[in-house]
Amino acid sequence: MTPAAATQSGRQPNATLLDALGDTVLPAELGADGVARAVAEFQRWMDGYQPGAEANHGYGTGRIEHLPADPRRHWRSQLAALEADARRNGPSFSALPRERRQALVRAALRNERGDALPNPLLARHVALALLAHFYDSSAATDLCYDAQIGRQQCRPLSAQRQQPVTLGRKGR
Amino acid sequence: MTLLTRQGRAEVIESDICIIGSGITAAVVAEKLAEEREARIVVVEAGDDTVPLAERAAHRARFVAYGESPWGRDHIDGMTADGIQSRSMQVGGLAMHWGGVTPRFSPEDFRVKSLFGVGHDWPVTYEELDPFYHEAERRIGVAGEQGPPELDPRSSPFPMPSLPLTYNLDLLKRWTDSAGIAMWSQPSAKNSVAYGGRAVCCRNDTCAPVCPVGAKYSPDFTWNALRASGRVELVPRTLVRRLVVEHGSNRITRAEAVRRDRGDAAGSRVHFRARTFVVAAGYAWSPHLLLLSRSERFPRGIANRSGMVGKYMTGHRNVFAFVKLPLRLYPGMNEQHSLVTKQFMRATKLDRYVRHDLRVWESSVGRRPRLKGDDGAVLLGDELMADWRRRSTEGTARVRAYYDVIPDRESALTLNEPAKNAYGDPQPKLTFRDSPESLALRAHTEDSIKALFQRMARAGNGEILRSGVDDFQDHPAGGCRMGDDPASSVVNSHGRAHDHENLFVVGAPTSVSGGCANATLTFLAVALRQATEIGKEFKLIGNRE
Repeated sequence: MTPAAATQSGRQPNATLLDALGDTVLPAELGADGVARAVAEFQRWMDGYQPGAEANHGYGTGRIEHLPADPRRHWRSQLAALEADARRNGPSFSALPRERRQALVRAALRNERGDALPNPLLARHVALALLAHFYDSSAATDLCYDAQIGRQQCRPLSAQRQQPVTLGRKGR
Repeated sequence: MTLLTRQGRAEVIESDICIIGSGITAAVVAEKLAEEREARIVVVEAGDDTVPLAERAAHRARFVAYGESPWGRDHIDGMTADGIQSRSMQVGGLAMHWGGVTPRFSPEDFRVKSLFGVGHDWPVTYEELDPFYHEAERRIGVAGEQGPPELDPRSSPFPMPSLPLTYNLDLLKRWTDSAGIAMWSQPSAKNSVAYGGRAVCCRNDTCAPVCPVGAKYSPDFTWNALRASGRVELVPRTLVRRLVVEHGSNRITRAEAVRRDRGDAAGSRVHFRARTFVVAAGYAWSPHLLLLSRSERFPRGIANRSGMVGKYMTGHRNVFAFVKLPLRLYPGMNEQHSLVTKQFMRATKLDRYVRHDLRVWESSVGRRPRLKGDDGAVLLGDELMADWRRRSTEGTARVRAYYDVIPDRESALTLNEPAKNAYGDPQPKLTFRDSPESLALRAHTEDSIKALFQRMARAGNGEILRSGVDDFQDHPAGGCRMGDDPASSVVNSHGRAHDHENLFVVGAPTSVSGGCANATLTFLAVALRQATEIGKEFKLIGNRE
């Protein structure tokens, strides 16, 4: 299904709300463009997902498993719930100050167990999925370490001897 | 070319050598025989052709993004074994998924009974295998570093320079040096330079399950070349169900199989006739086929006069730890590359038997971003990144030691009669079991390794974050073990069945023990030595004989 068709069918999370969620949970140091890029990549990732595809069956198991159902319907309702919560005390989720939006997201995530970020496909809340998707990226690792590591990217073998170079301001 | 006829209702394919299975062992055996001998070679594979190299980058992208299997139809519904380690029934077999790690065993692995009084000696020594180890390294392309000669004996250099140590591994090597442990770059079947017409490794870091550029060796490269040259005919989607012994002799006369993609749902029957049959179907499906080939004359299956088919299944167990170190490491530089040592494999005098390998990797354990801070509060926005940065100023090393498990006779593959595949054949059941002497050594072994990890942590002013033992036995093997005594083994050291002069079993299933290092290269060295014997029955190409 194309993104447009998914939106029409009501499966696609609301783009405005998703942008606001990105601005709420992702690091502000990414800047507006960086946040928009991370949200767009999350959106593309959702669009490309094929529920029920065969999962990788790695060494150590003979079990064949399949990927879970499309999570977007759940995530769309969760965004709608954030919007409804916001409208109880203000205009809309997008219009709330960041701190107020963060408080709503924290409340939504308060029952999460453990501190590990999950596989985004298994995230029980859209905010957690967006966080997990961003923090699993090579770009997030580079940002954390302020270094051009390029995790899981095709990189020259010989360069692995050297300490990764810093990102510098442009890299952020 | 092979001769195709029809006998009754079964198609007949004739050859000089019929190889059953198309995994990594079959690939090097077929390649060697095709290069050296005048023989028509047919290879029979139950699974489908694998995903072509050109499609692997796209498949890898979906594996990274979603966890999808990059290998498509790499298994057959209803064809699995209870207790199997992994499923990969396709052209190339399990080595389409492998990590490409290729250490040799140490000389002691082949003489544990003589040297230490435990387990069983192999009927072949390290010195006899050394040229075949080298041949295996050349055929698949191994990049390696010569370790200290007293720890890492070898008679010839690696065919490729080693994969360079990463910045992280260089720091970790200084740490292990400080603990008195000599480590070096792990030999791997990954191209450090262009080799075999394949690309140089570019650190995509998903060697297992899939290398998108072909820098890691996988058997499909060998099959592609052999099929293109016309020197080998590979018949995929064809399941060999039993081997049949000739009336009035002990020779195998045919392999009865079913083409899964022809005829009705039951497939169409095909018989493979050959002078020599080579079972190269790995540790599970090789003994399974011999057991399935039971008949009135051979009620326990073929090659099983000793009752040893399926017995002495073997492998090694691992003890692991994650060690926090005051080092600024950069997780993600090349997580699949490691340091290795044979220091603890080469002991010659021991108060109590304990031998193991040791490997060290970079790790992100304890350094990953997290949702909650130490006080349990949910972290969002800049707080989460700041928390991650605080915890990334130190590094984590993953350390792991494989130790050998001495197999019990009843560490066994048996036919699981109620579990039948679509053709009505019972599937295998695998039950790994330590011998009593191995059980008695287990706590001592694992405690010794954990004490070593503690010592290493102290040497680096670090601490163990967590440690454990994986209970399964890795790199499984055995089930058709080799030996000089037909009463206690299935094949001789050349892979020839004691009971059938024209039947060979090669590679992993013929292993006597699991050693204490990744075992694929040893399976290949053993198989290439066995292929030398198989080839002797055929003329050398160009009448060099």
